[in-house]
Amino acid sequence: MPTLKIDGVEVSVPANTTILEAAKTVGIEVPHYCYHPGLSVVGQCRLCQVDVEKMAKLAIACNTPVADGMVVSTRSPKVEKARRAVLEFYLLNHPLDCPICDKGGECPLQDYTLKYGPGESRSAEEKVQRAKHQVFGPHIVFDAERCILCTRCVRFCREIPGTGELGVFSRGDRSEINLFPGRVLDNAYSGNVIDLCPVGALTSREYRFQSRPWDLVRHTESVCPLCSNGCNVVLDVRHRQKGEELLRIRPRENPAVNRWWMCDEGRFTFQYFSDPARLRAPTWREDGRPVEMGYDDVLLRLARAIRRVVETHGPSAVGCIASSRLTNEELFLIHRFFREILGTPHLDFRVRPVQFQETDASEDGILRRTDKTANSRGARDLHILPGPGGLDVAGMLAAAADGRLKALFVFEEDLVPEFPDRPVFGELSRDVREALGRLELLVASSMFGSETTALAHGVLPALGFGEKEGSFTNFQGRIQKVHRALTPHLASRGLPEALRDLGRDLGRDLGEIEPERVWAAIGEMAGAYQGIAWKDIEPLGLLPQT
Amino acid sequence: MDFERILTRYKDIPNYTGTIDEYIAHGGYQALPKALRELEPAQLIEEVKKSGLRGRGGAGFPCGLKWGFIPRDSPKPKYLVCNGDESEPGTFKDRMLIEEEPHQLIEGIAISSYAIGCHLAFIYCRGEFVHGARVLQRALADAYARGYLGKNILGSGFDLDVYVHRGAGAYICGEETGLLESLEGKRGQPRMKPPFPAIAGLYRSPTVVNNVETLSNIPHIVVRGADWYAGIGPSRSAGPRLFSVSGHVERPGNYELPMSITLRELIFEHAGGMRNGRRLKAVIPGGSSAPVLTEQHLDVTMDFESLAAAGSMGGSGGVIVMDDTACMVRVGEIVSRFYHHESCGQCTQCREGTAWLHKVLRRIERGQGRREDLDLLLDVCDNMKGKTICVLSDAAAMPIESYLKHFREEFEAHVRERACPFEGKGAF
Repeated sequence: MPTLKIDGVEVSVPANTTILEAAKTVGIEVPHYCYHPGLSVVGQCRLCQVDVEKMAKLAIACNTPVADGMVVSTRSPKVEKARRAVLEFYLLNHPLDCPICDKGGECPLQDYTLKYGPGESRSAEEKVQRAKHQVFGPHIVFDAERCILCTRCVRFCREIPGTGELGVFSRGDRSEINLFPGRVLDNAYSGNVIDLCPVGALTSREYRFQSRPWDLVRHTESVCPLCSNGCNVVLDVRHRQKGEELLRIRPRENPAVNRWWMCDEGRFTFQYFSDPARLRAPTWREDGRPVEMGYDDVLLRLARAIRRVVETHGPSAVGCIASSRLTNEELFLIHRFFREILGTPHLDFRVRPVQFQETDASEDGILRRTDKTANSRGARDLHILPGPGGLDVAGMLAAAADGRLKALFVFEEDLVPEFPDRPVFGELSRDVREALGRLELLVASSMFGSETTALAHGVLPALGFGEKEGSFTNFQGRIQKVHRALTPHLASRGLPEALRDLGRDLGRDLGEIEPERVWAAIGEMAGAYQGIAWKDIEPLGLLPQT
Repeated sequence: MDFERILTRYKDIPNYTGTIDEYIAHGGYQALPKALRELEPAQLIEEVKKSGLRGRGGAGFPCGLKWGFIPRDSPKPKYLVCNGDESEPGTFKDRMLIEEEPHQLIEGIAISSYAIGCHLAFIYCRGEFVHGARVLQRALADAYARGYLGKNILGSGFDLDVYVHRGAGAYICGEETGLLESLEGKRGQPRMKPPFPAIAGLYRSPTVVNNVETLSNIPHIVVRGADWYAGIGPSRSAGPRLFSVSGHVERPGNYELPMSITLRELIFEHAGGMRNGRRLKAVIPGGSSAPVLTEQHLDVTMDFESLAAAGSMGGSGGVIVMDDTACMVRVGEIVSRFYHHESCGQCTQCREGTAWLHKVLRRIERGQGRREDLDLLLDVCDNMKGKTICVLSDAAAMPIESYLKHFREEFEAHVRERACPFEGKGAF
């Protein structure tokens, strides 16, 4: 391994490491714009120039491999002058509209200018004016005046999704990023150019003008719940008069999962958290109509109904379908409640055909996967599957239709649209609605009203992934935590609390429900998670050794 | 001074039009069979090294050395690309060689391709050379018909195909890696080096890029020998050179001379002296990128080393002569406008710096200059030099620095008088 000195600090790194990456390993910042570890190196911004002993000219740190015995300075007077010059060049035609720019406050051009740039402009020339807001696609707006032509966005579209919508047009100081004729920046990963842009040139149509970075009071690390890949994300929350609001989801670097990227669906799907149509209070059907009431009232009625079914028909007249959108901890408690406390073998999570395979598949060879739930792997590992003599989802629906199953719990799935005419459901000749309608007791939890909740006797409002603590296991088997970014609505209670209270009403103890304590119990179980402690799972998740 | 013209010897032949028959009748296509039959590629490279031939495009890099960088054992195809993009303002000699003696170039390409193991060569022809491109197409067809190109050339077993590719009008496509990008069908912008074209050039394969004039020398070196060639002119700048003389001289044009000639001889003996007998004020000796020289430099010889020692460079051989009617601020404005227009825009210093220089110079020329602008120009030039992927940025900065160095008083006068002192009497 070559050993070199950067600003007097000795660094040993593998051969072919660049000076920029080597400096990073010892915490030395080499400012740069065009370089990004996930993209090809073009060496165009010229900001990362460093002084290398015995080299006549300054070298660009992003493209100069280290050599044994190299002596590098990232702050010699020559470097400082060159850096100041590059920043001065950038600002010649930059509009300096930071006060109204979305990037202001989290802008590398601002940051580097403050740190390394000139305090004043020497330019007496008029600034070049360019188009201020061009809509590039469903999520992206482009401001050509702010652009510093680092070409990260161009390279991203060419190299990661491979769609190549963007190019540099014209030359010299007339150069501008733009769409190729007839193209729209609408690839499934387009939002990443917002993060990549080191200035406020590419901004999010969703987030634009919603907040200043310093208004975002919380940056919660979490995991995207929209497919089995489990892209690591950060949830940005600001306080508003009406309460906390999730305004932005950004990818969080995880080399083993999503590198620096995430898809647009994951990035821009969060408005549902603040949707006024969300179910806020539990309901119980009385005289054929759902009536809102307090949790305790609903749970008492529910306990009574369960007891009646179990006493009349036995525990195997009860079934449970638990979504693989739920966390490992919730699933564990569901397993305990239904298999151990109630004693029914009818438990399953497999609502979609893809969930019947051992693993799903990549949708596009990039990040997106075919299983659109976060935790099928966890559900499988935690045995959310039929026990001995138990029925799967289709079997439970068939049994409901036949009148053999009397009570069914459906946690966060809408069965009606999931089973229109599936082969897996071939044994059921009748309509799902009809099957559900024959149940003596149908309980559903859901964030929103659905065809299933419309048929249910009891409905419990559910929490979204940003409102709870817990973990998901992605398709690789990597256990990753989600954290609470938003305080749930006052009237909403988490599923663990509801199950605990329901257990109590049935005279049974569900045990600890705090995610950390639940995980301790999971870690004691034989299987994939044995011996893993809660604290071992931070922050990039944990892939159990097999 | 009497000098035997070599590249332009055809000028002495009455009614010569450069057809293949005329070329052969006057000794053409003798070098190619000689090279193919008598010389191994490695010997040929040695011969060119020994001749001392240096690139005529601008940098003056030793030609044989460049060829020697091609890895012979590479499994990839090797390419020869003839740089016929001649775009350096003040330079017009490649155009003449293409239009008037195309077979000399084609013979040079064939021999050079044989030397480096290339079977597919390209002539990247400046887009504006519409006539030149037609001449080349015709000449290539004739060379194919006579067996000087194509399969099994002259029964030697050596194959070579040559294509003409026309540029689309960008100065930067004369920079060798910008040219390669353009030839590959991409946006013409220079590549980071290393890797150099000899290792990863056209289609990331070993590639030699040689100028039209450089390649036109090759047949003569093969026929008459490296020693003969090395004996022409100064030892480190061997061989004849075409100087394109333009500006305020009596007889502008291309002059083929050894590089031992002085600037004074070139202007006053060959180019007929100053127009209307006016006084010489400034000379740009190697294309618009070269720093300016003045009367005091007239006795410098036109070889690469001496011009560098005088603070300028041999560059492309474009000699731009200006008399005392020329306003150097206006010259700066024009030169910087060119680089502003031609910067590819990928490197920050060049993209922004070329524009800034141009705007400041234009302002000074219009009488709106500030005193601090002069030092500002020098500092901007300093910030542009030696810091970018290619040397366009340097090429834009160096001339301006030199104008300020030699003619600072003229810039100051513009600022002081709030007008161009040459207004109404200027040459431009």
